[in-house]
Amino acid sequence: MVKRSKENNVVFLITVGLLAWVVPGAGHYILKEKKRSIIIFATIVLTFLVGLYVGSIGVINPADAKAWYLAQIMNSPMVAALGHLTATAPEKYRVFGKPNEIGQIYTGIAGLLNLLCIINAVYLAHLRGIKHEPSAKPGAK
Amino acid sequence: MSLMFFFVMASITIPEKIGTDPQSILWLLPLTAAIVIVYKATKLPTITLGTFVKETAVLLGSIAIFITILALALFALAWLISE
Repeated sequence: MVKRSKENNVVFLITVGLLAWVVPGAGHYILKEKKRSIIIFATIVLTFLVGLYVGSIGVINPADAKAWYLAQIMNSPMVAALGHLTATAPEKYRVFGKPNEIGQIYTGIAGLLNLLCIINAVYLAHLRGIKHEPSAKPGAK
Repeated sequence: MSLMFFFVMASITIPEKIGTDPQSILWLLPLTAAIVIVYKATKLPTITLGTFVKETAVLLGSIAIFITILALALFALAWLISE
């Protein structure tokens, strides 16, 4: 791996974090953890899509379910576009009862799982930065 | 590509019909599987098909068994109180 300065390392960590947010698993992919990234991408996207299928896009409700929306937006910034769509015509997309409940749980948990993966990818990138730092002592964690 | 994906998602506008019966709780099993898979994907030091499937199955099985025991215990408690 190419040696990075501290400033470049911070930029790299931010890039990894942002990529992992934009596309689930992309943070691990640029760290050359391809198997992990494929598993993460497939699982998170599938969980999110099952949530949407069960509850429709009405489960993304930035007006009346802000806490769920905060979790859902961790899936990808694309969720904000869906939130904007449902916020423009709330009566058209409104969903009630069990489908709403299950859809929100699925999409929210998918977002929180992606947050876990973002943190994991940034942490992995940070550890690799320490390992390849020129001043790092041999054997130091 | 992402625009196409957005339009596909935006076309899902009709929710499924799910009752409020006890069976609807089973919807949480696939979610548990998803949580276990992502957790193991981040925790395993190296990922090989055999170890990943084994570790995932063990954790998912443990969670399912624990939840079943807890449910039975709560059901027994509710039965004792109401009898």
